[in-house]
Amino acid sequence: MKLKKTLAFLLSAMMTASLTACGGGQAASSSAAPASSAAPAESSAASVAEPAGAEVEITWWAFPTFGQENADDPVGTYEQKIIDAFQDANPGIKVKLDTIDFTNGPEKIVSAIEGGNAPDVLFDAPGRIIEYGNNGKLVPLDDLFTADFIADVNNDALIEACKGKGTPYMYPISSSPFYMAINKQMWEDAGAMEFVNLEGDRTWSTADWEKAIEKLAAAGMNPGTVFCNGQGGDQGTRAFITNLYGATIANPEMTEYTANSEAGVQALTKMKEWIDKGWLGDGVSNTAANDIELFATGFSSFAFCWGTSTALAQAPNMEAASVTPISLPFPSDDGVPELEYLVNGFCVFDNGDAARADAAKKLIQFICDDPEWGPKDVVRTGAFPVRQSFAEKDLYAGNEEYAVLENFTKYYAPYYNTMDGFANMRTEWWNMLQNVISNGTDPKEALDAYVAASNAGMNAA
Amino acid sequence: MGKKKITPYAVISMILLVLVALVFIFPFYRIMTGAFNDPTNVWKAELFPSKLTMQNFVRLFKQPAWKWLYNSVFIALVSMILVCGTASLAGYALAKKRFFGQKIVFTLFICAMALPKQVVLVPLVRIMSTFGIYDNVWAVILPTVGWPFGVFLMKQFSETIPTEMLEAARIDGAGELRTFWSVVFPVVKPGVGALAIFTFINTWNDYFLQLVMLTSTENLTIALGIARLQSADVIEYGPLIAGAALAAIPIVTIFICFQKYFTQGITMGAVKG
Amino acid sequence: MGQSNPAAAPQKSLSHVLQRRETTVAYLFLLPALLFFAAFVIVPMIMGVVTSLFNYTMKSPVSAESFVGLGNYIELFKDKVFLRSMWNTVVIVVVSVPAVTFFSLWVGSAIYQKTGWIRSFFRGVFYLPVVTGSVTVVVVWKWMFDFQRGIFNWALKSSGLIEKNINWLGDQKVAIWCILLILFTTSVGQPIVLYVAALGNVDQSQVEAAQVDGATKLQTFWQIKWPAIKPTTLYVLVITTINSFQCFALIQLLTSGGPSNSTSTVMYYLYRNAFSLYRYGYANAMGVILAIIIAIFSALQFKTMNTGVEY
Repeated sequence: MKLKKTLAFLLSAMMTASLTACGGGQAASSSAAPASSAAPAESSAASVAEPAGAEVEITWWAFPTFGQENADDPVGTYEQKIIDAFQDANPGIKVKLDTIDFTNGPEKIVSAIEGGNAPDVLFDAPGRIIEYGNNGKLVPLDDLFTADFIADVNNDALIEACKGKGTPYMYPISSSPFYMAINKQMWEDAGAMEFVNLEGDRTWSTADWEKAIEKLAAAGMNPGTVFCNGQGGDQGTRAFITNLYGATIANPEMTEYTANSEAGVQALTKMKEWIDKGWLGDGVSNTAANDIELFATGFSSFAFCWGTSTALAQAPNMEAASVTPISLPFPSDDGVPELEYLVNGFCVFDNGDAARADAAKKLIQFICDDPEWGPKDVVRTGAFPVRQSFAEKDLYAGNEEYAVLENFTKYYAPYYNTMDGFANMRTEWWNMLQNVISNGTDPKEALDAYVAASNAGMNAA
Repeated sequence: MGKKKITPYAVISMILLVLVALVFIFPFYRIMTGAFNDPTNVWKAELFPSKLTMQNFVRLFKQPAWKWLYNSVFIALVSMILVCGTASLAGYALAKKRFFGQKIVFTLFICAMALPKQVVLVPLVRIMSTFGIYDNVWAVILPTVGWPFGVFLMKQFSETIPTEMLEAARIDGAGELRTFWSVVFPVVKPGVGALAIFTFINTWNDYFLQLVMLTSTENLTIALGIARLQSADVIEYGPLIAGAALAAIPIVTIFICFQKYFTQGITMGAVKG
Repeated sequence: MGQSNPAAAPQKSLSHVLQRRETTVAYLFLLPALLFFAAFVIVPMIMGVVTSLFNYTMKSPVSAESFVGLGNYIELFKDKVFLRSMWNTVVIVVVSVPAVTFFSLWVGSAIYQKTGWIRSFFRGVFYLPVVTGSVTVVVVWKWMFDFQRGIFNWALKSSGLIEKNINWLGDQKVAIWCILLILFTTSVGQPIVLYVAALGNVDQSQVEAAQVDGATKLQTFWQIKWPAIKPTTLYVLVITTINSFQCFALIQLLTSGGPSNSTSTVMYYLYRNAFSLYRYGYANAMGVILAIIIAIFSALQFKTMNTGVEY
């Protein structure tokens, strides 16, 4: 009975609404106007230009790059603290925070850009940022790249990684290598520790690696997987495969993809062989996050996609499962690894409003350079500061793990993440791995196809 | 229905039926037991949780899961109301009025009826941004209301209104609104009920539209929230399963309580529609 | 309108006035629906068709330079992934539609004469996955299908049926069947409800009469029941077809179209082009093709519905 009454009321309301609305007659726009004003107020952050003198409101989208201070803090807690401090220092600016994740985040950003609702500030890495920049979606940051700043960073490769076609788009805060991790207990139990070098930079050879995984498999330890189901973490599998026999992803000029070299084919063939033997895990249905979860919960004995921020984020999982990770560089035939690395940094989207762009720049400078917050923020990223002046402060004093990791930075490989068609190359990479692992495609054939498609994508972009 | 002869065929088919039914129930059972089990047991094949805890839910609610649930309910309810309102008015007009352009309007509705929303994906996102409601529950509601299935259904229902009744109302001097209200609506009421249920379920489950329209964590629906937990960077299976349970419980409860109306809704929606 | 005297007024002009009035009133009734329809279906449709003629990407907006005519459509039919996705879509439709239809008919006939609660129970059970919601269903199946720790591999292994875990979602030959299985569980609910209703409405006296005449079960089915449930069957076929075409959440959340695009569907590929590869024009071209295919089935649906099923 009640239902009937409610329905009746609603219908009559609809009816009157429709009959009064017809006076206006304006089609599409009039129907939506009342709807949007009735919407929950908090999220109609549309594109109205701020009148002079009023508060500027900007949005900051953050991937979970900052580790939280306490394991129990929900995502975004630390970021909000920065915002509070920033707003105190800059009363005219309001910052709205949105947290996104690596799996869905990239697609969300693109749809926001497409819809003209891009955030003002994004905390990410060059791979995507430079692509947005080259596509004209970002505000150039020349004014932030002062001579002082460049001198303080004192690393040309890193500065270049922040530029797209010569224009700086990303203001870097920290960088850290990607490496792999092994489960100490499992390796000890399997007697595989003898192949691991814990001295110096912990570099080791492909031959040792092969013996180690054989032992692990014999002892019934679950292998880590060559994950290739989706989005992120591809650098882990790429670094593993290219290091095995010294293949390269791109030529030194960064104009061509080159993984289908003899060394590449050899590595991929080996990988397939190991998977067939059960020494390596089939990761066709795993994403990097799945594989990391397997490792952090103590199921698998190694993981290819490890890094300082991963270690931080997975700390609760590892503690619960009493997993002790050991960080290692990737094994290579000559014992000199080439590591991929991450540069954390900020970009400013061009939302057609100079006031917002200026406010956004202020925010990123505050985050990166503020004498109090800058170093603290670097530590929260769990990475090494790009500014030498911060590095001298020895932010991770007393942390032996970080002393080792800092040594890894000298093995940084050429940075190809800002090449044209990078996004397309990543998709092709996954496809290539899936083809080899699940389809049994010949490694040479698969690599050739991958390189051809990646190069084609570069020219199309 | 009268005499019951038990044939071997009947017995075998009954056994088969029960077995298949188990396959259908099992995932649901697994969610419910998994959600209340200890997070460390999430991969164990336990038929009964060895340790009943709410821990998964505690961890789940570090995310704004109530807000997600609220958003889902809001979207489904408002869409349902708007669809029923607009569709019963339009359906009546299409069925019982003779007017200029009737054929064209109706044909347009029909052609668009089964259109998947993916087809207009990019333009829809554009339009929502223009209206300033991208990443807002209304960006999901408005296209749902625009989809013309409801109009078609209500048109079919309105055909059953006896024309004499409309004539009689007219002769009594009733205005159009009153005619609709006191003559048309009572006749099409079962149809509205069917449409309401149909719209509610479909909107609740319309993952795709939610996926492309909603981005901020606090604007997600429960379905989207779980999807995000599943693909998060740090995956926690316990809270994920708890989230799945949270998403399933409300609507399954409603379904069990109102099964009769659901079945009626589905049958009428198909048969008359 | 009762005030004017029909007999006195000239017939023609009165009907003209009435006609105009009727048209106005009709459009007032239609207005709310039309507004939504125009703004959120027609306008985006037109935008989609128009922009499908441009090399419209994140980098290049719709402009004179980016006009490519039918270029996107031509590329589509050379795009291996698209063709694969199309093929997969067809496979999904071709397998799931008959399976769902036969199964629902079987369940329907098995339960429609049972006592109330048994009928409700089974109907409810088979409808359960629909109300549970596709995302929840996918989450739980993915959890059970897990390669390393999933319950299926555990069960099969501990019962000695397999030696090595099966990578359900990571094996080209298996993944699509997993998708089909889950799609199946989420698709049969509605058809079963429909069949139970349709069979329940078959004239029982005719059935009995046939049995008295010595007709076998099979004969009774074909000669009496089948004609009565034929419209329902047609309807079931059409909705299942459209549902199968639209299968998206399953693909996105379960396999992301992998391995090697073996589970990619047109829907999913469209989404990926728009949101991962930023090729909006190309995605829109795919949308247009899909719209045409679905429109054909839609027309079919309309025909089916108009065959006048009455209960």
